[in-house]
Amino acid sequence: MKRKVNPISKFFAKLLGNEKYQSFTIPVFAIVLSLIVGAIVIAILGKNPISAYVNLLQGSGIWLKPKYAGGKSMLTDLFSFLNYWTPMIFASLAVAVALKAGLFNIGVSGQMLAAGFISSVLVGYSGLSSVIAKPLVIVIAIIVGGIVGAFIGWLKYRFNINEVVSSIMTNYIIQYVVAFLINTKYIDPVSRQSKNISDASRLTLMNTQIAGYKFDIPLGIILAIITAFVIKFILNRTTFGYEIKAIGNNRKAAAYAGINVGKNMIIAMLISGALAGLAGATYYMGYFSSIQPKVLSATGFDAIAVSLLGNSNPVGILFSSFLISVIGKGRTYMSSSAGLDAEIASVITGLILLFSACSAYIQYKVKTTKEQIKEIEKEKNAEVKK
Amino acid sequence: MSEYIVEMKNITKRFPGIVANDNVTIQIKKGEVYALLGENGAGKSTLMSMLFGMYEPDEGEIYVRGKKEKISSPSYATELNIGMVHQHFKLVSNYTIAENIIMGLEPTNKFLGFIPYVDIKSSNKKIAELSKQYGLEVDPTKKIQDTNVSIQQRVEILKMLYREAEILIFDEPTAVLTPQEIEFLLEIIRGLKAAGKTIILITHKLEEIKQIADRCAILNRGKLIDVLDVATTSTKEMANKMVGREVSFEIDKTPANYGDVVLSVENITVKDENKFEVVKNASFSVRSGEILAIAGVSGNGQIEIADAITGLVPISSGKVILNGKEITHDTIREHINAGISYIPEDRQTYGLVLDFSLSDNLALKNYNQAPFSSKGIINHKKFEEFGEKLIQEYDIRSGQGTKTIVRSMSGGNQQKAIIAREVEQNSSLTIFVQPTRGLDIGAIENIHNQIIAERDKGRAILLISLELDEVMALADTIAVIYNGEILKVADAKSLSVEEVGQFMMGVTE
Amino acid sequence: MLDKIIIDGLSFALPLFIMAIGGIYSERSGIINLALEGLQGAGAFVGALAAVFLMQSFGANSSIPYYAAIFFAMIGGMLYSMLHALLCVKFKANQVISGVVINILAMALTVFLTKIVNRIAFGAPSDKFELGVSERWTIPVLSEIPIVGAVFKDIYPFEIIIIIVAIIAWYVLYKTKYGMHLRACGDNPHAVDAAGIDVAKIRFTAVMVSGALSGLAGMCFAYSISAKYSSAIYVGYGYLSIAALIFGNWKIIPTLAACILFGFANSAGYQLVKAAGLPSSYSDLIMVLPYVLTLLLLVFFSKHNDAPKSLGEIYDKGKR
Repeated sequence: MKRKVNPISKFFAKLLGNEKYQSFTIPVFAIVLSLIVGAIVIAILGKNPISAYVNLLQGSGIWLKPKYAGGKSMLTDLFSFLNYWTPMIFASLAVAVALKAGLFNIGVSGQMLAAGFISSVLVGYSGLSSVIAKPLVIVIAIIVGGIVGAFIGWLKYRFNINEVVSSIMTNYIIQYVVAFLINTKYIDPVSRQSKNISDASRLTLMNTQIAGYKFDIPLGIILAIITAFVIKFILNRTTFGYEIKAIGNNRKAAAYAGINVGKNMIIAMLISGALAGLAGATYYMGYFSSIQPKVLSATGFDAIAVSLLGNSNPVGILFSSFLISVIGKGRTYMSSSAGLDAEIASVITGLILLFSACSAYIQYKVKTTKEQIKEIEKEKNAEVKK
Repeated sequence: MSEYIVEMKNITKRFPGIVANDNVTIQIKKGEVYALLGENGAGKSTLMSMLFGMYEPDEGEIYVRGKKEKISSPSYATELNIGMVHQHFKLVSNYTIAENIIMGLEPTNKFLGFIPYVDIKSSNKKIAELSKQYGLEVDPTKKIQDTNVSIQQRVEILKMLYREAEILIFDEPTAVLTPQEIEFLLEIIRGLKAAGKTIILITHKLEEIKQIADRCAILNRGKLIDVLDVATTSTKEMANKMVGREVSFEIDKTPANYGDVVLSVENITVKDENKFEVVKNASFSVRSGEILAIAGVSGNGQIEIADAITGLVPISSGKVILNGKEITHDTIREHINAGISYIPEDRQTYGLVLDFSLSDNLALKNYNQAPFSSKGIINHKKFEEFGEKLIQEYDIRSGQGTKTIVRSMSGGNQQKAIIAREVEQNSSLTIFVQPTRGLDIGAIENIHNQIIAERDKGRAILLISLELDEVMALADTIAVIYNGEILKVADAKSLSVEEVGQFMMGVTE
Repeated sequence: MLDKIIIDGLSFALPLFIMAIGGIYSERSGIINLALEGLQGAGAFVGALAAVFLMQSFGANSSIPYYAAIFFAMIGGMLYSMLHALLCVKFKANQVISGVVINILAMALTVFLTKIVNRIAFGAPSDKFELGVSERWTIPVLSEIPIVGAVFKDIYPFEIIIIIVAIIAWYVLYKTKYGMHLRACGDNPHAVDAAGIDVAKIRFTAVMVSGALSGLAGMCFAYSISAKYSSAIYVGYGYLSIAALIFGNWKIIPTLAACILFGFANSAGYQLVKAAGLPSSYSDLIMVLPYVLTLLLLVFFSKHNDAPKSLGEIYDKGKR
């Protein structure tokens, strides 16, 4: 029986075949594929896809715009982008840590909201000076997020409640309770949002004048990048990291090896929640300065897919969150300058996430195609020998 | 028409990396019991999966009743009146016995003449009749989750009979049964033969073949070695052909040299999730230099004893004392540190983290100690060195050395890795549960020798095995467990196989 | 007031219920379905799209667009759900991730397309479709009965459709061959495969059913709550129905009870807040109730909670 592998799959098998680099090549493949699909859609709408994509970069301050308004420069946009990027890094790290322990934290959005709200109330509306207020915001956000995360972990450990289900429930409980509190006590009647927090407590230094240009300087970004590397170190180089990976891969074997599964699971969720708390602080008290009641941020959900795209690897996440944030941030400029609906950017993001969800399948396909090619070559060689 | 009901001619089947069947030809007569004998991985199940339409052969032809057939799916195999009982039963646990049997071939009726529904009432009646006809008593309305393995196997057989199978394939049917249940099953098979059915039996148990098979095909590494007439061939001869070399059933074992008591178990009781007592008031002790084997039929509480001693399940009453120190309610880690090594029954579920590398798995119990880590920081180099050392010493074979993901390793090498890790702990007590399950004869010999070597180093060994042969060959002292109770503890030399077998059935003098 | 509680409670509970039945179909076949939220939104989008176009030819007062909307919402939800089915069944993606991604994509796509359609077809820059108010029926005689009569008062036509569809769905799931195979897939797909039944096909169609029913639910929400279609449809009805089906232990009748409980808690809370003269924000507190209840239920009855055995497990034929 003669078998054949079609040349297209052969090409992809070669391109993506090296298992060592697959954690990199397959996400890139997913991204390229989505950008192509996005380009086709943009072209159908009668616009130039390349210039639209360049607009995204320009809007994020990575590419020079043709002209800038007074007091603004490419660096202004870049800082604004960093401000936007920061919560996404924290949120994706939150998802990744839980994922390593085999848990789905889809409650990141709720944890963000809880942390952002309580920090706002305790610090944002106080008159504390910035030296005390800013660190305090971070500490409170970590504690609040950590408690919510640990609670979900505890429910899982103590009552064996699926963390996906309890996360959904806590998300909505937090959302409605916070909405109630904002609407009854902290509402700004004009904006229909919570009252603005004090500048002293805000984690972004807004409208800072440097050399005649204005910048929004996000303090959180430095912390976010450092955190990514700290998490990487914890996962790869510490016994705790080894333990949570063991639990994530095989809970029973971990228990057999003497690892305290319950404790580690709760700690993993505590860390995950704390990271979500940081995401909340940098989102509601950095990028924004108020909270819209009854709305969960999309960041917490996007983070699941961003984390997946980055292979749950902290450094991978820096790249994947960067990309998704560029699309998210640059879309306003793209919309105004190319005349495209800003929502096309969300569609492209959605597509990237969709294709990356298929990564396991791509990996599997590549593997089987490679094996097929090998078998065929073997047969050929055998025939030649005859 | 030829005298053969099934002919598989020159069958070759390749999987990535291996040739599962290499030019195999077998011919099966109508109405005979035909055994397929071979070690694990010899290609028996693959060959039968092709007859049952789960795979298609790469080369070769299949004839059923003299007609060439392309069996592309289990449904088509069913149409050809071929049925198969798989090693792992394929039953829906929250459905009744009848619902399981009729699934895929449900008798339907119409409500108001046009709304179709599955007619459960008539099914129940039909199944009851069918079970009576073949002596396979079952209650059709009982849910599978409320039945035991033996009943579940009957349901699988009834499933085939309901589909009017004439050719019945059994894949390792006795692996999960008690000796009594095995007897009963063999009786059923004889009955089926008498009813004119053709039976194909996949097994590696020579005794069973001797008892019921007419002919026996021997496979080794995918190749057909021989087809023997069972009545005129000795078991020894079959065994030699199966392994491809001479095997000795005897193990060289020097007399035991007992030291102090290492483990003493005093009146322990263990309850399962439903508060049911699975171990009742069990007591025994193991000395250094002694192999104490717990014999018993599967599911009588022996696994729970091992889990209780190692701290995996809580003990509701009684004491476990190791080297004079009580450890009854200590954590699992404290048990490990106190000096207990444990080779668990289910190596893939408990013994290994399948997606970890080999070196990570070999350090699974030491990762938190020096030199593997200090103050919570891991030293990967030490992991590698330790891995290399164990791979050398225990001859663990893997594709990429210490970096190999354990999932991709063979069962035998996975087991070697666990034994290497546990033996290296230098524990005073080592517990082996079913250490040779699913391994081929070569690997079994190797592990048996290792167990004896450990004993001779002065360790205390607790062996839990369902294979009576293994218990008789290795044990210095035998404890027999039945229904959660230790019925007898005695010197191995003072007990005959028959006596142990009786205690296993719960017979006390 | 009691009348109002019953009327509003039912009109909220029933769409929730039909969506939960869809979830039950999917999950009993073994596929985790967090995508319900996206499916109802996508379905309602297609339905609303059909309605706005038909309203142009039939006029706003005709009931044809209304029924067409419901029909097309089911079709739309079903088509969109095939993406989830494709990912979970064919591509063997992680079902939780797939569900989340499907939701993100649904929201992005429908918001984008709503804008595009509005601009291209109607030349108006709008991010919503105006649907018009649904008519309401009151059944004579029955509605006169004290208290209980409210059940028959001011009924949205879709409530009747839902009840009929729900009865059919119940019958199919528990009485027919297909339903039997579907429920078996969630427990042990290997058994189903061995019986010569195509597991992939059953699971694929089960997800499609969940898509169609979610689409129906989404359309009903669009008509009953806001009389228009916009991104406001994504407020978590899908997640609430997941809570309901967990509460109902993956069984249709107990799930109905859960939905009615959620629906009445919602409407009663709203009416009480209004009657007590409190600001409407207090009704947010009432909205917490279903989620707290579900969480408490799980805490106290987690042992009795039996999710389908092979829920979320990827079925690979070769793996035995």
